[in-house]
Amino acid sequence: MWPKLFNKPLFGYGAAITGIAAATIILKLFGERINPTTVALAFLLVILFVATAWGSGPAVAASFLGVICFNFFSLPPFRTLAIRDPHNWIAFVVFMITAITVGQLSARVKRRAEEAEAAKREVERLYYQLQDSFERSSQAKALKQSERLKSALLDAVTHDLRTPLTSIKASATTLLADLYASERDNAVPQLDAEGRKEMLQVIDEEADRLDRFVEGLTKLARIDAGEMHLHRQWTSIDEIIALALKRAEPRTRSHRMEVWIKEELPAIKVDDQALSEVVYTLVDNAAKYSPPGSPIRIAATPGESETIMVSVEDTGPGIQADVRDRVFEKFFRAMRDGDVGDRKSSGTGMGLAIARGIVEAHGGKIWIEAAEGQAGAKFLFQLPTGSDERPGANPAANKRM
Amino acid sequence: MEANQRILVVDDEPQLTRVLRRSLSTNGYDVRVAGDGEFALQTFRDWPAALVITDLAMPNMGGLELCRRLRAISEVPIIVLSVRGEEKTKVEALDAGADDYVSKPFGMDELLARIRAALRRKPPADPGAHILEAGEFRIDLEAHMATQSGKDLRLTPKEFDLMVHLFKNAGKVLTHRSLLGAVWGGDFTEQTEYLRVFIGQLRKKIEPDPSNPRYILTEPWIGYRFNPE
Repeated sequence: MWPKLFNKPLFGYGAAITGIAAATIILKLFGERINPTTVALAFLLVILFVATAWGSGPAVAASFLGVICFNFFSLPPFRTLAIRDPHNWIAFVVFMITAITVGQLSARVKRRAEEAEAAKREVERLYYQLQDSFERSSQAKALKQSERLKSALLDAVTHDLRTPLTSIKASATTLLADLYASERDNAVPQLDAEGRKEMLQVIDEEADRLDRFVEGLTKLARIDAGEMHLHRQWTSIDEIIALALKRAEPRTRSHRMEVWIKEELPAIKVDDQALSEVVYTLVDNAAKYSPPGSPIRIAATPGESETIMVSVEDTGPGIQADVRDRVFEKFFRAMRDGDVGDRKSSGTGMGLAIARGIVEAHGGKIWIEAAEGQAGAKFLFQLPTGSDERPGANPAANKRM
Repeated sequence: MEANQRILVVDDEPQLTRVLRRSLSTNGYDVRVAGDGEFALQTFRDWPAALVITDLAMPNMGGLELCRRLRAISEVPIIVLSVRGEEKTKVEALDAGADDYVSKPFGMDELLARIRAALRRKPPADPGAHILEAGEFRIDLEAHMATQSGKDLRLTPKEFDLMVHLFKNAGKVLTHRSLLGAVWGGDFTEQTEYLRVFIGQLRKKIEPDPSNPRYILTEPWIGYRFNPE
């Protein structure tokens, strides 16, 4: 682009004068032998240049100067503005018209080019502005959404921490009040041994519950950060299910457990502890959300293309189709549209999120289907067999998640 | 010890109801537990309790609805258990008919003190009676006169109305909204600054130290509580 000074119109006129003068001087050096046609072409070149660079005003000035110089120096009689030969009149007029036309035309082309350039710049500017505002609005939206998510998560975590804390605090203050009463004169301790034991049991159990909650948070954070380490070893799906059922036994005592494992399922190289936790979570949920005495059906079958499919089915109220994907989101339970009055408060809202994290880390997937009966939920997960060679598996990592 | 007074505990958290059942019965109350509002209402019909303690967030029927339904059939004192920080829910519960609230986690002493206060609260005065008395205070509704330790308090008519309303609900947490509605009428229920001014004036007349009140207590974000003792 031109430096600023060159763009001033006055500079254009100066350049027109200088250009024509320079051309005249250079041509004069060749003497009077030079052909008028060459002179005319040289002047036209200067006019063209001036017109392109500075537009029509300086181009007209250059044209007039050129005409005068052409007449004065190149058309006989030389060094006068008179023209003797009518032949030369024609040359003079043709030169004049050509000079002015060329000047105007090239100036117009330049103006058009400038206008086109300006229009292009304007379009670009608008485009960037639009893009910028789009970006800003989507950023604001994302920020707002993440703020909302954060505060919902915080609410959920706060609630889940406070619930066991409430029981602990109530038990501990009951014990303390009893202790203070027994320290005072003439006061008899009010709690009997059984009562003191129960208060201590509650404190103990709720402390464990807090610990499990914090453990769950840690696992989730690891899954989120992609830092879950699988401790893979060869095992069978029977063993994994047996492990999970043993752990879930206290919670499933009032349910009828039906286990159906297809024979000849291949051995799998997986993190058995992690996967038994997945089964445990599903069985525990089934027991929690279905009436006592109802059956919980666990099945393991070969799935499509070298996979094993495990399903856990209950006869509870089931899960509505529109939230079937969302139940795997962390804290989904507690976030159900903020309607605290309708919240099922058992569970941490982390179990299924962790289960999905574990299954996906094994290269498998987990989902929900409507149960085969008229009511109930059916959770399924699918694991690739021979998964030790799969991408994403990390055989070097042997730390337990 | 007010032996054998019945308390109905409503919470869906079994560990907490376990503690409350043990602790309250050790303190001489007869305790029953319900896991949700619906079961609580059923229990209350067959077993009219002297006091109901309820959680707010429960499956089936929550605490708010339970307060409303209980109020429709009974004047039983209700203490609401709520997670700290949920001021909006507390106000809703109090407006729905709860008398008091305790924030989780709570110390058992605090809950027991609130229970004693709620049970001590006299049933609504006989509409024919025109003398109200509590602690040092005495209000003559006919003569439109309030005295403290025998001394005339010289209340303005609005201050008098406010005092009477506080008096009739002594010990109970009154939300800004319910106080404004009761004394100024329904159009003024959002004008909490009116209330602040009148409470301030009333405190100047009855409190020994108005900046550190002992009779009209502030419940931050919620309202006020009148404690005549």
